[in-house]
Amino acid sequence: MLRIVHKLRSGFAKMTVREAINSAMAQEIERDSNVFLIGEEVGQYQGAYKVSKGLYDRFGKSRIWDTPITEAGFTGLSVGAAMYGLKPIVEFMTFNFAMQAIDHVINSAAKLHYMSAGGLRTSIVFRGINGAAASVAAQHSQCFAAWYSQVPGLIVLSPYDCDDARGLLKAAVRDPNPVVFLENEIMYNEAFEVPDNVMDKDYVIPIGKAKIMREGKDVTIVTFSKMVKFSLLAAAELEREGISCEVINLRTLKPLDRTTIIESIKKTHRVVTVEEGWGQCGIGAEICSVINETNAFFHLDAPIVRVTGADIPTPYAFNLEELSFPKAHNIVEAVKLVLK
Amino acid sequence: MIFRISRSCFSSISVKLPSFKVHHLELDQLPQTATTTSAELLAYYKSMQLQRRMEIACDNLYKQRLIRGFLHLADGQESIYEGLHAGLTFDDCVITAYRDHCIALLRGDTPHQIIAEMMAKQTGSTKGKGGSMHYYKKATNFYGGHGIVGAQIPLGTGLAFAQKVSQKAKCDFDHVW
Repeated sequence: MLRIVHKLRSGFAKMTVREAINSAMAQEIERDSNVFLIGEEVGQYQGAYKVSKGLYDRFGKSRIWDTPITEAGFTGLSVGAAMYGLKPIVEFMTFNFAMQAIDHVINSAAKLHYMSAGGLRTSIVFRGINGAAASVAAQHSQCFAAWYSQVPGLIVLSPYDCDDARGLLKAAVRDPNPVVFLENEIMYNEAFEVPDNVMDKDYVIPIGKAKIMREGKDVTIVTFSKMVKFSLLAAAELEREGISCEVINLRTLKPLDRTTIIESIKKTHRVVTVEEGWGQCGIGAEICSVINETNAFFHLDAPIVRVTGADIPTPYAFNLEELSFPKAHNIVEAVKLVLK
Repeated sequence: MIFRISRSCFSSISVKLPSFKVHHLELDQLPQTATTTSAELLAYYKSMQLQRRMEIACDNLYKQRLIRGFLHLADGQESIYEGLHAGLTFDDCVITAYRDHCIALLRGDTPHQIIAEMMAKQTGSTKGKGGSMHYYKKATNFYGGHGIVGAQIPLGTGLAFAQKVSQKAKCDFDHVW
């Protein structure tokens, strides 16, 4: 492995989310000869966003496959290879481009195990940037969490920090099902301290289990990916005003960890959901419905508040883009609303 | 050269193959004749008749509404499936679109399983969960059975890719129709 992990003190190291994903892929490709990485610029260019830096030099062209700009082609090829028994990691430069290949994700991969009555399966990971970046405008900024989370047969994961990125990606590669792994470009550069055990080559996080990032008693904030950061910032600000927030990092979007959410509601009685994507039929909408359908509903002291992206295609202008997606202050306002 | 055909099953004929235009192949390296026996030809004929009977039965069942949804039949195309099957082994991968009943038959499913599937029975090839367009058999390297037009092309490429990378280079056939 490249010397990308900076030792801070005994037992801990500091790394960026980019390095976390890179190291997880490197370890899985090393571990299992059936695993390979495929996508645009993943090899000789070292990755469009440098996430696969060093992998081509280390593993060569038989394990790291550069492709032409043809998502439908290389995604279909990867699903076919997975049907035969290989374990592809398919990198989409962003999930916006994956729409060119979504038929293979859904119809060729996700539904296959069921349609074949268990005869065929695909152990495949589809990973890449999801959601807004910076000034990349409408066609390059969509969050696809809700779309993929709806599909039976898919596992959908979305990491926040390095711990999530390493543990979830390794779990995804080792899982026999098709997994959609939604990363975030802004989070790539964020650095976190990680304990040594997270760097272990067999460090995996259970799929389907959310993580409580911060315990609290007044309100539950349910969120994932970059919005975890803003939720934690909001919680810190609210703490100064005497409001105690419990922040749940979903980690897995499908299957959703209902138990952790319900147990938290029994404690706090109020819920705010936060997502970057559009509100209609979103992750927050699903959480509202799940709570409504379970006994957690009777533990609520107020209606659930959703914080979501604005219902518009993402504008280019920086000031308009800032207004289009939730920030910490939006989450603070939502918490105060639910407490009113 | 044609041998006199006797009633013995060991008699054989030699057939001169038509000359095809080829692309990325050396014409002089391709075989010019093929030899077969009456036993072999009868086996092909019997198999093609079974395919025909099965497809016509499905046609009738569909008209009785005992098979529902989509039904893409191969009556009239049996020789293509049979010929392909004759040239392959079960180590070679096959994938197709939705006209897949006869491939399912040639790759190991019984007519009972195939028709039961279309009649939505648990005893069907994919337990009634797939239907006419979704037959598969991993054991004989048959990868379906796909409803989306054209999907089988990159999937088939992936099967070939996987065999090449695994160094099990055999043969992959992608049906385009």
